[in-house]
Order: sequence, then structure tokens, then C-alpha cells
Amino acid sequence: MNLKNVKAVKKGFRGGLRNGSYYVVTLIFSIIAFLAVLYPMYFIVIASISDSTLVNQGQVIFTPKGISLYGYRQIFKNVLIWNGYRNTIVYSLLGTALNLALTLPAAYVLSRKRFRFRKILMFLMVFTMYFNGGIIPTYMLVKDLHLLDSPLIMIIMGGLNVYNLIITRTFFENSIPEELYEAAVIDGCSHFRYFMTVIIPLSKAVTAVIMLYYLVGHWNDFFVPLLYINRDNYQPLQIVLRNILLSNQAMVGIAGGGASGYAQQFADQIKFGVIIVSTVPILLVYPFIQKYFEKGVMIGAVKG
Amino acid sequence: MKKITENGQRSDWKRDWQLWIMILPALAYVLVFCYGPMYGLQLAFRDFDFSKGMTGGEWAGLKYFKQYFDSPMFWPTLRNTFTIAFFTLVWGFPAPIILALVINSLGGKRWKRMVQTAVYMPYFISTVVMVAILQIVLSPSTGILDHALKATGLFSAKANFLGDPSAFIPVYVVSAIWQSAGWNSIIFIAALAAVDRQLYDAARVDGADRWQQMLYVELPAIKPTIMIVLIMNLGGILNVGFEKTFLMQNSLNKSVSEVISTYVFNIGVKSSQFSFGSAVGLFNTLVNFAFLVAADRVSKRTADIGLL
Amino acid sequence: MEKKKVISLILAGSIFATLFSGCAAKGVGENPSDKNGGGRTAEQEAEQKEGEGNSKVKLTALISKSGLTKDVNELKWLSDLEEETGVEIEWQQITADWDQKKSAMFASGEIPDLLFAATADSDYVQYNGLFEDLTTLIEKEAPNIREMFSDHPETESMAKTEDGKIYGVPGYQAVWPKVSGTMLINKTWLDNLGLDVPSTWDELYEVLVAFRDGDPNGNGDPTDEIPMNFMNDFVSRSGGADILNMLGGTGIQITDRAPYGYFVEDAQVKSCFVDERYKDFIAFLRKLYLDDCISQEVLTQDYSKYQSVCRADGVTAQVGFTFAWESGDRFGNELKDQYVSIPQIKQNAEIENAPYSYDFYGLNYHGNRVSMSSACKDKEAAMRFIDAFYEKEASIQVLFGGINEDDPCIKKNDDGTYEVLPPADPSLDPGTWKWTNSFADIGPFYIRDEMREKLKLGTDMVGALEEKSVYDQDLEKIDPKSNLYPQTFMKYSQEDINTMAMNQANIDNIVDQTAAAWLTDASRDIDAEWDDYVENVNNAGLTQNLEIRQTAYERYLSDLK
Repeated sequence: MNLKNVKAVKKGFRGGLRNGSYYVVTLIFSIIAFLAVLYPMYFIVIASISDSTLVNQGQVIFTPKGISLYGYRQIFKNVLIWNGYRNTIVYSLLGTALNLALTLPAAYVLSRKRFRFRKILMFLMVFTMYFNGGIIPTYMLVKDLHLLDSPLIMIIMGGLNVYNLIITRTFFENSIPEELYEAAVIDGCSHFRYFMTVIIPLSKAVTAVIMLYYLVGHWNDFFVPLLYINRDNYQPLQIVLRNILLSNQAMVGIAGGGASGYAQQFADQIKFGVIIVSTVPILLVYPFIQKYFEKGVMIGAVKG
Repeated sequence: MKKITENGQRSDWKRDWQLWIMILPALAYVLVFCYGPMYGLQLAFRDFDFSKGMTGGEWAGLKYFKQYFDSPMFWPTLRNTFTIAFFTLVWGFPAPIILALVINSLGGKRWKRMVQTAVYMPYFISTVVMVAILQIVLSPSTGILDHALKATGLFSAKANFLGDPSAFIPVYVVSAIWQSAGWNSIIFIAALAAVDRQLYDAARVDGADRWQQMLYVELPAIKPTIMIVLIMNLGGILNVGFEKTFLMQNSLNKSVSEVISTYVFNIGVKSSQFSFGSAVGLFNTLVNFAFLVAADRVSKRTADIGLL
Repeated sequence: MEKKKVISLILAGSIFATLFSGCAAKGVGENPSDKNGGGRTAEQEAEQKEGEGNSKVKLTALISKSGLTKDVNELKWLSDLEEETGVEIEWQQITADWDQKKSAMFASGEIPDLLFAATADSDYVQYNGLFEDLTTLIEKEAPNIREMFSDHPETESMAKTEDGKIYGVPGYQAVWPKVSGTMLINKTWLDNLGLDVPSTWDELYEVLVAFRDGDPNGNGDPTDEIPMNFMNDFVSRSGGADILNMLGGTGIQITDRAPYGYFVEDAQVKSCFVDERYKDFIAFLRKLYLDDCISQEVLTQDYSKYQSVCRADGVTAQVGFTFAWESGDRFGNELKDQYVSIPQIKQNAEIENAPYSYDFYGLNYHGNRVSMSSACKDKEAAMRFIDAFYEKEASIQVLFGGINEDDPCIKKNDDGTYEVLPPADPSLDPGTWKWTNSFADIGPFYIRDEMREKLKLGTDMVGALEEKSVYDQDLEKIDPKSNLYPQTFMKYSQEDINTMAMNQANIDNIVDQTAAAWLTDASRDIDAEWDDYVENVNNAGLTQNLEIRQTAYERYLSDLK
């Protein structure tokens, strides 16, 4: 499984006990973290194909019991779910594109130490992280912009995340040497050109990070469609899945109680199935972005 | 004198007009979608009156703030919020940094990637589901953890992790770390990825072992990132995750789990007390903001890294 | 690279476009209703030109429905109703989180023409002017609703706000029982252990201990039995709680399972949470809990956990004593025959009168089934549409589903009687079938009293009614004028609603936490803490809430005469 780690450890020991101990400690730590994280996830997978009663009774621990695919069948029977998948993918991709188009240039501007208005602009942005007008005025604004029940709102809302902006700015400030800019200025390079030809290619790591942040945000977004989208064919996956969940959940408190719990045995199975159905696609994105983290993008630039 | 200033400004503009264009989209977004609805803040100082519109209600001054300060729930909610926030920060903040250092040190590419992929996964699980998993795993009669603890023979059969008020914070914090440490480590891993290989080589030449390289190469390299993230966390100290607290709340642990945000929800939203809700929310915001400014000051003075 | 520049410029441009359109919209939108009106009329005209002679009125409606209910556009009985009354409805269907959507939508001032099961009394005061006062419209256009008001005057007083306006039309259900939560005990277990049905708390304790120590389900494992279980919302919830049914054993007559703990005794509104008899009751529950007679998860389990524990594996029962609307619902078809309903259990043999919760009001009268926007274009047509729901035959279809080929839920016999049919889809139970094909219990309807004879109910309802018949005797002592808490009919002003909401949240906090601690924490001393606790609850606003409710109750009494 990890021959290379063993090699690294061996190599470390050759280089001295203290080096070796570092690799041993981190290896053990990584194994513990790996198992602690993975077991509950594994549990969800086996629970999603096991009889829910057995799950609740604590009988499903290492292997699935009373296997049935009822939950998945119920989930995929729903036509809205395919619709929801499509919507979510469109919203996530376009939304993330907009996010990057807003965040990267803005972060560059705010990283220019000589830009006079940098401080006040930064304050203007950070202020909104803390103060907001509340749900109702925002709703009214969206209504006035005629974006209620429009797919556009799913792309525009959350267009700029100040947290991500700050991360990006910090990266530009600290990881891209100022000498590059000075050299570019001597070459008569404009801000546009410098941003496109130097900053962007050198910032793959941070771009990948905030892209992932934004993408996941869009993917799991629940509150925006909850408030602003009422039409079924615009609903994203999260809302569709939640509706499936609720329609299968026992309804406590309904007068007469007549509707409660007959399908209970499978409700939890559906719940676990829903986690998997909604989570797996976004998990698949990560490996594509991951490689940028490892490249140590800056080395070439500084040397060159 | 005057002329110079004018010249200075003109050359500023000549140099910076492109910058303005670049920040304009973001600025426009913030002005429209964040500052546009900001007038809603004054609701905290007015009696909400629908027929008169959002800004038409009678001026109530600090009535709703006073109402909150006088309410029997003021101290309990404030105390609970701080306690949860404090422990989340103390235990939750170092976790992703340690994780990032560990992952960065792993030699085997495959194993490294497996660990990395595994630890970030829980982040994608929604809070609703997360709490449902907690309930199943921690159930006092049937939970896996309970079976395991009983098997060791060290614990009584009645350990009730979901009900015991003293267990609420540990469960909250540990599950938060489980869910987000991996994800939060991404930013530190990215920072570590940017560390110049030459620095390691130089350190090795100087005779630094791997522990020392961690202390003197890696940590200083990611210090700006650490500071920024810390400031952000401090600034959000009172933003105790509403969803999770609310979902984990039950009548047994309510004495420690009723925080400001759940209280705002219970009174402000569920009972449609918009003005009261706005006031309590604004109070929460002000405290947060104060923390942010303070943290930023301290960080600037001590490390010359700041946000504002 | 150039491409990226172009993209970002386009994006920037589109933002500006949005900005300007936003400003433009704001400018024109100074008189929003006019603008909308213009738009709609134009649309309507076009529509009319298109389909010569088609004079259908177009309306928008919102329904906050159950997640089980299918797309309402597919409900044949509903499209028939639209057809009959000459309206065409564009439905907005909300299945979840309506409470969160609601405040934003209402506060923005733009709502659909009709709202089904989506409003509450407090909305009409809070969003003053948003909803139409229906008083004159009902007078002019709604014979069926008028019939309900004259047959059951209490429905009219229920519909009226404090200042005599009608914003929401109520529904009347007639055929539902007087009791919601039935006490069910496992008779098979009792028989296996040679025990009788308990009639006092002491006997109940003995039975539960026997359940705990023995192996009444006979699977060879004496530890898997849970003697008693119930749903955890046992204090201060607006919908009341099943466990509070047992308070009747101390002589307290509660109504609708004691919403927020309030009840009426000798024409005085009281809270059971500061009553000495509640102290006895919580002490009894504490004994049961600490002796492992109550599920140790009782306060932390959610509904689905509770439900799955009660249903066990469908072969071996796990729970001895609990509450349910109906045994089949709680225990599943395989286990339900093991359980029998039992009458009220007395605190001790000296208690003469041990009443049971009287839930008829809560189960049969429903306020605010439908309301109308004051901006509705054609109020008369909208009112006629609403009224159609209240017609005799329509009403039972709203509740149980259609009398037609497409959704066969009710059969109409030649002699004028009706029969609720078993589910056409055999994999569904009657309850789910009903909720799939109708608005069910949340719909607007007037079920005539005559339907008690004329309508043959489905198996689930028959079973429920049979089980609940054990309480007929316990319910005899009801006096609507002195020991019934008519929450359904009580009205409050906006200011009082606000005050009560604030106070209640604070009261709930104390009551919930204290009850939970007393129940589960062996180190707490109820007797020693009681006086302080009562004082705290009173100071948290209970005294004030009781005064407000007492006034409202007295107003109700004077209306009653």
C-alpha cells in the first residue's frame, strides 16, 4: 500500500533517528486520521443498502445486513432528481466561473500595496462579512431585480465570498515576488497584461483552492433556492433530495397522525442513499484539482 | 504644492485606472447585493410594521436591545456561545495545520493522495446528515461507540453522549474537527506546496533534521496564512454554527446548547419577532466585529500581518 | 488569455446590465400593483383572443402541502373543481420549510391570489393589509361556507379575528375522534407474565418492572425489552404531547394534549407545569426512568428512531407501553395485534375522576385553511373557487381523494352513502394513500355531521376509532364552560401575540431544561427545587401569559352564550 512511505522512513533512519521519528509519527498519525474519517463514511455506504431497522438496532457494523436497494430505487425513480442534477451542474459551473471572474481581479487589485484606495476598498468588503441587511431586504432586492424564480439568481447569489477574496489576496501578496512586478513595469507592462500573463499562470494553486471552495458552496447551496426558487424545474439537487427525504420521513404533528411512518423502515435507507447520491459527484471533482496543489508552482518563477 | 498634489493624483489615475476596472465587477456586486439591502439593519431600532414598510415602523431606539439584555436568556445564551466558540477554536484551529504538516511529509504519493482524499470527504456531508450520523453512532443503547465502550468494561452502560450536558461540547468539537479539519487543511497544504524546495535543501545543509525543518522552514512559510485564518476565526467567534447546534439541541442539553443564534431563531423567526431578532443579531455582529478588529490590531503589532 | 479577458469583460458587463435593469425596475415599480395589473390584463386579453369564448379566470395559488401528496395538478377532483368554477389555477406547491419562506414572501408584500394551509392568525395582524377580509365575499359568493357557519356557529367565531374580520376560512372535519394519542400496552407480554392491565401508577410500575426483568417477548434475551417509550417532545410544545395524556391520572382535564402546557380548571386558565400534580407526575416518571423502565433514549431519540424501535424487526416486539394514533401506525401490521388500548391510569385508587385529554377541537376544527390576497384580481371568482371546496361531496374528496376513475379513493353508493376505498396501490397503506391523493387533513372542507353515518371510513380509521373507544368513559366529565381549554377558538391582539411569544420562549427554556434534569439526573431533588422553579417560571412571563389567556378565554366564554 505504501511502500514509498516505508522507504521514506528507512531513508529517514539512515539520516538519523530524529528524522526517522518524524516520518514514523506522521505516518502513524495519517493512518489514524485515515481510518477515523473513513469508517463513518464506510458505515453510511453499508447502511444505505441495509435494512434500516437493523441499522438502528446497531447490528450493522462491518458488513451490510438485510441488503436491499430499495432506497436507491426510490431515489432514482424520481424524475425530478435528474432534472436537479442538471440544474446543479449548470449552476455550479457558471456560478464558479462568475466567482473566479470577480474574485481573482479584485484580489489582485487589493494586493497592490501602492494602490491608494486599497484599504478603504478592503474595509468595504470585510464589512459585509459581518453586517448584512437580513433576509427580508435581500429578498425584496431580488424581487425588484426580477430574479425571483429565475435560474440566474442561483448563479449570481454569493458571487463574491470575502473570505476567499482574502485568501487569494494573501497569496498574491506573499507568494508572488514583488520583483516580478517591478521587472514587468520596467518592461512597460500594464496591470491587465501583468495580471493575465504573470499572476494567473503563477496562481494555479490558490485558484484551485478557491475554485473548490466556490464549487462546493454552489453544490451544497440550499438556502438560496429555498428562498428564491419555487418552480420545480429550476430546483437544484439539494432541494429535490430534501423533498424526497421529507416525503419519506414520518410526519410528526400532522393532525390525526394518519400519514406517519408506514414507510419508516425504508426512510433511513433513503436518507443514507441521498447522502451518497448527492456527495459522490462533487467528490469526483477533487482529484482533478488536487494535482495543482502539489506542483509547488512558485519554484520556477523565483528561479527564473 | 498644489500642483504637485494634482500631478500626483493624475499619475495615480494614469497608473491605476486599470485597477479600478478590475475591481469594478466585485465592487458592483458588493454594492448591489450586500450594501443594497443594508438598510434592513435599522429594523433593530424600529417596531416592525408591515403596513408602513421596512423603514416606516415607529422608532423604538434601543428598546429591543434592552429587552434582550433584560431577558433571563441573555447571560445563558452569551455564556454558551462563548464557551462553544472558545473550545472550537482552541481544539479546532490547530487540527488542520497539524494535518497539513503531516500530509505534506508523507513520502508515498499514492498514500498521500489517499489520506488527502479521505480527510476532505466529510466536508461534503450536510449538517443534517452529520447530526443524524452522530445520533446513530452515539446512541446510548445501540450506538457503535457504546458497544465499544462497554466492551472495554471501563464505562458504565449509561454514558449518554447526546443527552449529558457535559458531553455536548466535546461531541460538538470533535465532530466539527472530523468534518472540517481535512477541508480546512487544504489552504495550508496549498501554502506548503508553494514553499521553495531550496529552503529545505538549505536547512538540510545547515544540519537541520526533519523536525527542525518543520519548525524553521514550514511553519514560518505558512505563518501569514495561519495568521489570516486565525484572525478570520477570531472575527467569527460568535458565529457558532446555527444549523448544527440547533439540530444537536435537545431538552437535556439545552442548558449548554442554547446559543445566541438558536435563540434568535426561536424568538425572531419562529415567533416572527423581526425587530427583536434583528437587534439580537446585530448585537452578535458587533461583538464579532470587535473581536475581528482587536485580533487584527494584535496581529499587526506582533507579526505585521493584517486584514484591514 | 485574450479569451479570459473577454469573458471577464462580458461578465462585468452583464452585472452592469442587471444593475441598470434593477434600477429601471425600481423606478417603474413605484406602484407595483398597477404594473403587475397591466401585465396580467394584457396577458389575459391575449389569452381570450386566442381561445374565443374561453372566459376562464386565471389565478395563482400556493399550497403548503404534505410531501406525500402528489403534484396537485394531477388531482382529478381538483381540476374538476377548477373546471366547475371557471378558474384556472397556477399552483405553487411548497412541501418543506414553508415557515422560512413565508416571512420573506409575506414581508415583501407580493403573494399569490390564494393561500392554502399557509397562513396563521398572527400573520393577519403582522402583515396588516396583505390579506383580504372575506366577510362580505362569503356573504355574497359562498353558500357552502355560510352553511358551515350556520350549522356550526363556532366555526364562524373561530374564523373571526379579534376585531371581527375574516381573513382565513376554517375547516370542520366531523368524523375524527375525540382522542388523538391512545395508550397502548402489549397484551401478549402481560399474558406471558400473567399480569393484568394496570389501572394505577403503582400497578403500572409493577408491570413495567416485570417487563424489564422478565423475557415477555420470549426470545431468550431478558434485556432487549423496553418497558416504556414515548416521543421526546414531552413538554411545552405547541401541539401538545402524548405523555401529558397521563396527567389525567391526577385529575387534570387537559385539552388537545395540553398545548404549551395550558389547561382550564374551574374556568381558570392554568399551566400544568407549575401545578403540584405535575410535580407528582414528573416524580413518577423520574422513578420509572431511573429504574430503567423508560427507554434511556427517550429525550434524545428523534421520531424515526422512536418509530423504528417500536416496530422492532417486525417479529419480536420490543416496547411494552407507549402512545399512538393507531397501533398499526406505531407498531406495523405484523406487531399491532399484540397491543391493546387501555383507559386512563389513575395516580392512585383514591382519585375519583381521571379524565383523558379531550382532543375533538384540535382534531376536527382547523383554522385558516385558505386565505386570499388583497391584491387578487378577481375576488368573486376566487371566492367561488374556495367555496366549491366546502360543498358536501367535494369536502369528502378534499379529505380522502376523488370519486372518479382516475383517482378512485371514494365509492359513491346508489343510496347516497359513501365508502372510503382501500388503496388502489396495494403497496401503500390507507393513510399514505389518502395523503397522496388529497389535500387530506390540511385541506379546506366542511364535512357534514351526517357523514358520520353516511361515510364508511377506511380500515385505518375504523381501527383507530375502535381503539379510542376505551376513553368514552374518561371523557364524560367534560364541561365546555369550565374545564375545557379552547385554544382553537381563542383570539389575541398583535401586541398580546408578541408578548406571549417572547414569554413562551423563555418559559419553555426553563421548563424543558428542568424537566429533563429532574427526569434523568439522580442527584436532583424535585421537592427541594420545586418552589424556586415555580417562581422562575412565573417570573419568566407565565403570570403575564396566563392573564392574557384568561382574558381571551373569558371573551370566548361570553361569545359562547
